[in-house]
Amino acid sequence: MQNQDIALLSHLMRRAGFGATPDELERYAEMGYESTVEELLHPENMPPALEDEDLIRRYHVDENGLLIVDSCQTYLVYRMINTRRPLEEKLALFWHGIFATGYTKLNQPKAILNQIEMFRRYGFGRFRDLLVELSRDPAMIFWLDNKDNHKDAVNENYGREILELFSMGVGNYTEDDVRQCSRAFTGWTIRNAAHHTVRTAQDSVWPYGRLDWQYEYRPDDHDEGEKLFLGRQGAFDGEDVIDIICEEPATARFISRHLYNYFVADEPQVPAWETVPPRDPAAIDTLVDSYFESGGDIRAMLRTLFNSDFFKSARFAKVKSPAEMVVGAARQSGGFAFPEVEDIQLALETGNMGQLLVDPPSVEGWHTGPEWVTTASLVNRVNFAVKQFADETKPGVRSIIERVQARGPDQTPEQLVEGCLELMGPMDVSPSTREELLAHAADANGGGASAERVKELLQLIVATREYQMA
Amino acid sequence: MVTTDLQYSYSHTIGMYALQGRGFNNPVDLAFGKDGLLYVLNRAGPEVSARLPYKRVTMCTVDEDYLGEFSSGGVEDGQMMWPSSIAIDRDGNVYVSDEALQRITIFDSRGRYLDKWGTRGRADGEFNRPSGIVFDADGNLLVTDSLNCRVQRYTRDGSFLESWGRPGRAAGEFNLPWGIHVDAEGGVLVADWRNDRVQRFDAGGSHVATYGAPGDADGWFNRPAGVGTDADGNLYVADWGNERVQVLDPDGGFLFKLRGESGISKWGYEYFEANTEELRERQNSNMEPEVGPLARGSSREESANIEKLFWGPTAVKVDEEGRLFVVESCRFRIQIYQRA
Repeated sequence: MQNQDIALLSHLMRRAGFGATPDELERYAEMGYESTVEELLHPENMPPALEDEDLIRRYHVDENGLLIVDSCQTYLVYRMINTRRPLEEKLALFWHGIFATGYTKLNQPKAILNQIEMFRRYGFGRFRDLLVELSRDPAMIFWLDNKDNHKDAVNENYGREILELFSMGVGNYTEDDVRQCSRAFTGWTIRNAAHHTVRTAQDSVWPYGRLDWQYEYRPDDHDEGEKLFLGRQGAFDGEDVIDIICEEPATARFISRHLYNYFVADEPQVPAWETVPPRDPAAIDTLVDSYFESGGDIRAMLRTLFNSDFFKSARFAKVKSPAEMVVGAARQSGGFAFPEVEDIQLALETGNMGQLLVDPPSVEGWHTGPEWVTTASLVNRVNFAVKQFADETKPGVRSIIERVQARGPDQTPEQLVEGCLELMGPMDVSPSTREELLAHAADANGGGASAERVKELLQLIVATREYQMA
Repeated sequence: MVTTDLQYSYSHTIGMYALQGRGFNNPVDLAFGKDGLLYVLNRAGPEVSARLPYKRVTMCTVDEDYLGEFSSGGVEDGQMMWPSSIAIDRDGNVYVSDEALQRITIFDSRGRYLDKWGTRGRADGEFNRPSGIVFDADGNLLVTDSLNCRVQRYTRDGSFLESWGRPGRAAGEFNLPWGIHVDAEGGVLVADWRNDRVQRFDAGGSHVATYGAPGDADGWFNRPAGVGTDADGNLYVADWGNERVQVLDPDGGFLFKLRGESGISKWGYEYFEANTEELRERQNSNMEPEVGPLARGSSREESANIEKLFWGPTAVKVDEEGRLFVVESCRFRIQIYQRA
């Protein structure tokens, strides 16, 4: 029974966080599953995400100023690894993938980190409030050209994407709705827009680095006229439009499907949603009900999701994203708490695997699921994970080795393999994978549960197909 | 004695962002050489191979005459990875501490590599992330051994002489100390970074006084990084976490604080001469905008929004003319204040 509890909690932490160590799982097991879910859902009751954020700013001076995109990526990965609020960070990454805003166009990476900080603050609340903050977010305003959306010259880029990619999805609105929606957001811009536009166009960091952006509402540039939007008529502004959007069943279904895809099991990519039904329609209906019952509260939807049978039974049904792979292996192997020169390598690894954080490839965000795995990325994923477990002085690796060794010096190959799989997840593996692990355990150098033998087994385990799954 | 008439006014700014050559890249410290020469230490992260050449020491004058640069990022002799502090010995040689390579590197006054010394460890004479460095009145080098939470004294060639301090919060104990300074009377001041205070010691390392407490009230500190004194013994503290410089009287009493008033440097103006469109839009902009909700209440975020403010002040130095130099790691410049 206890092992089943640990397995379920391990599943929860792979999805609602970036995995958990055996020590962490034991603490969660003492709390129980539902209490753990509640703790995850309320990061505001936890200590600050980082024990001492100043440390990384001191040693990585570039992560204090955040001028360079590499620095921002490294900071974000460091935070994911060391956060004491795992779901807060995982949910921020979720929104970063949906409301995808990329460095390549902005030339202002800190603006995207500021946006991600906004996701931390508003990501658990009402979807309506999140969309309002998103519409005021300087990085988003720049990314989708709303600074160029004027009363007398409407730019439809943001008005279109908030409907197509951020709330309802294609097929649930008309071109006229796009136009009216865009009119409602006229005058939502950034302060000193012309200055920032010039600087961004030439990627100017002179003379003294970048300047943060601020939201500005310009009533003189806002179209206050009547608008007919999704069948309603009024002198709508952006907030009114968002209120209407959030009352739509399509919005509830859209966000439910995104939550399912990210936290439960891989779905087809968003462009296919218009024609391809969900893999579990009943689960989507459950989440939609939760959306309307809670007034569009994301925390309530997540509570429904994590406590559902469809979530609990979906173990290893998702391909790990590069961020999940890198951060998960780093957390598991340990040793990344104190800033080191090499920290940037972790951020570079996520890019090598196909996920450049702070720089998603388009407004659609990253394609997920099986699309994460290509021939090249698979090699990177396996090599990275194996490398993390090659160093038995790392605290996480050492801890697992010691736990295995504590089970006795004369363990059979079967016992060794079982012990390692249990402590690395617990992980379920196919019969063929198990046979390969057993064969190695039988042939490996060193008798019993020698540190070298355990370490080699751990490296083999992280090289398996099963370790690619969350 | 409280100095009540001490006043400073903003003079001008040196520097601007530059990958290499004329300008700075995450400058963290400054040393005064002979004949008005300034040595500016550039830490320049992150540590990817393409950016390693940006780590360097820039030589210039207070009037922004660019005189060259030396060293670069790397692990070979004469290179550096996490340079933290710079000091000049009585012969004019330049010493650089390196927190990553765990060593002190020595150059001559023109930047030619001379020597290195240092070993990572906990034993006497070994160190773990040597951070601030300064020469004492006898010409020996004091080093804040930050992860070992102590101060160590060496001869110029690296022979260990003595050390004091240990981890903790009591008087004479440290938590990741950073900047260090020797005043005109030989006393030693240490920016006890993670204890949010400045500690004063006599020349032999005996604790004399502690200044400040955690916070942003006047006289309190948030992760102080650097400390200096003037000829009258007044203290200047780079209050890094509060993005300000605080000035204390010789007994530690609060006098005033600076938040930053930078204008455009000479090199900066030259940049704008070649980029007139950007200059025009800049002049049409409000360069002191009201900050957004994420920035309110955060001096760091405020500094990210308003260019003239200090951002990442890591070192404060007072020259022989009484001018105050504030090194800002995140704004790539040095603001200079003139004593009234």
